[in-house]
Amino acid sequence: MKVSYHWLKELTGLDWPVEEMAERLTLCGTACEDIVSTSRYLDRVVVGEVLELHPVPGADKIRRAVTAIGSENLDIICGAPNVAAGQKVPVALIGAKLDSGFEVKKVKIKGVTSCGMICSQAELGISDDHSGIWVLDDDATVGKPLAECLDYDDYILDFELTPDRADSMSAIGIARDLAALASVKIRYPSFDLEESAESAADHIQVSIADEEACPRFTARIIRDVTIGPSPWWLQKKLLSCGMRPISNVVDITNLVMLETGNPVHAFDLDRFGSDEVLVRRAVEGEKMTTLDGKEHTLTPDVLLITNGKEGKAAAGVMGGEDSEVSSETRNILLEVAYFSPSVIRKSRRHLGIISEASSRFEKGVDPNNVPGASARVAHLFHDVCGGSVLKGVVDCYPKRIDPVTVSFRPDRCNKVLGTDIRPERMKQIFADLEFEVDGSDPMKVTAPTFRHDINLEIDLIEEVARVEGYDSIPDAQENIGPLFTPTHEEDVFEDEVRRMMTGAGFDEMISHGLVHSRQAAIIDSGLPYLKIVNPVSEDLDMMRNSLVHTGLIAVNHNVAHRNMDLRLFEIGKAYFPPDPDGLWLEDNRLMILVTGNSPASWRNASRPFDFYDVTGAIESMGEHFGWPSLRFEAETAPYYEEEVSFSIRCGDTEIGTIGQITETILKKFDIKQPVHIAELKISDLIKLSRDLSEFEPLPIYPAAPRDLALVVNETVQVGQVLERIRSVAGDMAETVDVFDYYKGKQIAEGMKSVGIAIVFRLKHRSLASQEIDKVQLDIIEMLQREFKAEIRTK
Amino acid sequence: MSLLDDVANLRREAVEKIKGADSADTLGRIKVRYLGRKGLLTAILRGLKDLPDDQRKAVGARANQIRAELEQQIAEAVTGLSTEKSASAFDPTLPGTAQQIGAMHIVSQVMNEICQTFYGMGFEIARGPDVETDYYNFESLNFPPDHPARDMQDTFFVEGGRLLRTHTTPVQTRELERRNPPIKIIAPGKTFRNEEISTRAHVAFHQVDGFLVDEGVTMSDLKGTLVAFCRAFFGEDTKLKFRPSFFPFTEPSAEVDITCFLCKGKGCQLCKFSGWLEILGCGMIHPNVLTTGGYDPEKYTGWAFGMGVERVAMLKYKINDIRLFFNNNIRFLRQFV
Ligand SMILES: [Zn+2]
Repeated sequence: MKVSYHWLKELTGLDWPVEEMAERLTLCGTACEDIVSTSRYLDRVVVGEVLELHPVPGADKIRRAVTAIGSENLDIICGAPNVAAGQKVPVALIGAKLDSGFEVKKVKIKGVTSCGMICSQAELGISDDHSGIWVLDDDATVGKPLAECLDYDDYILDFELTPDRADSMSAIGIARDLAALASVKIRYPSFDLEESAESAADHIQVSIADEEACPRFTARIIRDVTIGPSPWWLQKKLLSCGMRPISNVVDITNLVMLETGNPVHAFDLDRFGSDEVLVRRAVEGEKMTTLDGKEHTLTPDVLLITNGKEGKAAAGVMGGEDSEVSSETRNILLEVAYFSPSVIRKSRRHLGIISEASSRFEKGVDPNNVPGASARVAHLFHDVCGGSVLKGVVDCYPKRIDPVTVSFRPDRCNKVLGTDIRPERMKQIFADLEFEVDGSDPMKVTAPTFRHDINLEIDLIEEVARVEGYDSIPDAQENIGPLFTPTHEEDVFEDEVRRMMTGAGFDEMISHGLVHSRQAAIIDSGLPYLKIVNPVSEDLDMMRNSLVHTGLIAVNHNVAHRNMDLRLFEIGKAYFPPDPDGLWLEDNRLMILVTGNSPASWRNASRPFDFYDVTGAIESMGEHFGWPSLRFEAETAPYYEEEVSFSIRCGDTEIGTIGQITETILKKFDIKQPVHIAELKISDLIKLSRDLSEFEPLPIYPAAPRDLALVVNETVQVGQVLERIRSVAGDMAETVDVFDYYKGKQIAEGMKSVGIAIVFRLKHRSLASQEIDKVQLDIIEMLQREFKAEIRTK
Repeated sequence: MSLLDDVANLRREAVEKIKGADSADTLGRIKVRYLGRKGLLTAILRGLKDLPDDQRKAVGARANQIRAELEQQIAEAVTGLSTEKSASAFDPTLPGTAQQIGAMHIVSQVMNEICQTFYGMGFEIARGPDVETDYYNFESLNFPPDHPARDMQDTFFVEGGRLLRTHTTPVQTRELERRNPPIKIIAPGKTFRNEEISTRAHVAFHQVDGFLVDEGVTMSDLKGTLVAFCRAFFGEDTKLKFRPSFFPFTEPSAEVDITCFLCKGKGCQLCKFSGWLEILGCGMIHPNVLTTGGYDPEKYTGWAFGMGVERVAMLKYKINDIRLFFNNNIRFLRQFV
């Protein structure tokens, strides 16, 4: 919403500097986002008179205009088709800076030197009209600075309004806030309406078929108007509110809408086609062409202004083409009405039109200012367009809308705000806002019908707060609330995982969680996806059901940017459609992925990241959180390579999956290097985690380390070997670890060599070496028997 | 004592110190102390003009001689020091071989920091589902059906009649339902908006909501708490500006600006030369919301606020493109190690 600074000054009589006005309005809830000077591009622009026009040899689109600017005559090259000798025009002199940052310079075109520029309104930032040069009034004084000549030294204030404040969509509405802040009265535009003896009611009848949709409709008739351009004072007011002047009749309807907030529509009475107005819902399939030339097929969602037979306007949204005011119009049917906000909202949605009128109606205009706005328009039609106003307004108001009275307790107000504002001051604020106040405790406050947002006591409390200023509410110095704040195990767990994973060299990624169905098809795991009904683009039309998917998107993005070496993790949700029982599952997960090579240093050579970098990360977390030992069980998942595809198990629980992404999938993500991923369920991980239950005394008896080197078939799983050694050694083995692992030269094809370090120690006594030898023999025997191992004991 | 004695003492003292010096730094300081522009020897030379002619010559000659001698000794000592050091074969300047550590996502970091600050003020963390019902996301928060206020939040709807929450405020209703006052909650999480992806908008972002419900809670408490938070988070000298605004679920509502932490309010590119940065929205919980949550608004009052995590991070680190948060380019992620 744009309003001019001068207009607000005119309505309030306040002469605050523009910045102060903007700031104080902002601090009372009418946020001023921008202040633009109307004369910002009028420096070094003067009134000129085109004396002669000469052709430019070799160029037929441009002419040389000899232009008087008072002190001298300038040669100016002009390409506008509407330039003519005798016109008064705006001339930008050398050095003038115009809209879009253009600076006027002396230039030579086809051998002719041009010493200035004749401008359009758009070039001067006056409006968006760039159809031709701006032809000024004949009485403009040649040589005078344009800004002075136009008396156009104003500011356009651009307000960002909140949806509840429909009343601020007008100059008077914004002025009312100013008036309340300064405790002054609004200077409403006053006028005497001259009406002819003939009565409007004899020439037009109004009936309303849907009173809920149209609680009030007024009609007036104005005869013998002369259509033409508006006078400059009127144009200026529209321009300074960011609106483009069209013709006097249209400009007046716009002006009154900007002034009062009540949208106004003028029909060409002679093209309206009857002497009756019927407001009704459209019939399914009914057709109408709006004045923007678009034909619409209607439904009952659209409310129509009809002439009893056919639609002449989509009520509150846009007029119809066939009754539009044109340059030939002589007689006018003037409509000012009040329509139900929700009806207009549905209607403009169906029509796909957002107009100045619809955006006001759908927020709610003042039903009781409808006759006032009508009279104001009629007065201007008479004054400006020379029309004669028929006597009276035909006012059809079947559903009276009365102001709401709200009970207000001053003490409650101070209790909610934490303030100490005196009740008299509150009363004053209401009076300044044009509310009526009765009684003192509670006050009975009646808000006028332009304030649809006042219905509850809290609405009045807000009025007090915003007019008094939020600054006047003290900042409390004490903290209130419970003594103790508990933490939640999920939060603590996730936080610890983040710290451990980053400590282990993994970077945390976060996905938005929306995915493409095209990509979803690539890594189809057979699980259902939650589909988005109204995707912003076809690209993101479902929610991920696995973090593997978004992990691969991140790898794809990184390798495309030549970041080849990645260790990433994400904590986030996988989403699913409701199950048959109607339960909605959002599963919080931890995804870990590696690809590329480890960082090289002067001490350690780089090596490819692989499966064990993922399991290593999981196992160290397992140690920290006290998870029982994990098992990897071969299990085919559609997106893992068959050889390297496992479920991760802990006891009986499957806590996730791990594997190497198939080459087919990688190819589709443009990834040319192996990717290993694990995905774990956070809720299961939390269940498995446990605190240390009891401290273990430090060992007092000596340890006996023994190493075993064995060669086994490469299909033997080392994990099982370790497990069996632990079970044979029983409580004698303190630790059993792998210290060497080798395949290749010196080892027979199909075999592998494994070095195992066992530390023997008992907690309660020392071990004799014979005992250890005995167990070691048992272990060797077991390894030979169960794993066909060839032992190379040191 | 004559001036000549002074000069001799000065020399002895300086020579001793040069011998004892074990670093180039110390030698540098010795040079300044004796030979510098305001050095002790220089001071003596300056004072010569007040002496009788004969004395001036003798002392002057001696002082200049000492000056030359000290300069040479210091130069020799410096060379001596450096040759001695390079004799060692141990090189401590090789890069250490610690494991490279990873970066927590900047959104996690900022969100944690916000939550920790509020935790310190007694707020408990609560979370809710990302896929919400219309009731929790809108209806219970005083958004009437088909109300223009719903247009403020472009919503993704999913099959099955639910939607992706447009804010973390639904957590408020959920917690009101299952707790008893005093309720003091901070609700961080992911939220979604149906918007075209651009440098300034994305389909998802993170939000932190906070709210307090109890008897006698006032707007003054709200202001005090947010002032305390902003000072803790953005710096002790941060000032706040509360501007009236509109949210369906709070009244009175406010938009909060803080003094630009870059220019301290003087005006700069970051704050678009206004000196202020818009940082959060807040207000007193609307009586309708309390009633819906099962509370008597005559007895209980409360306040709530919400802020965008990416927005805070973008301001704090001058990040100019919101898409960077979800691209997961490690060159971005690793800047916040
Ligand atoms: Zn700044």
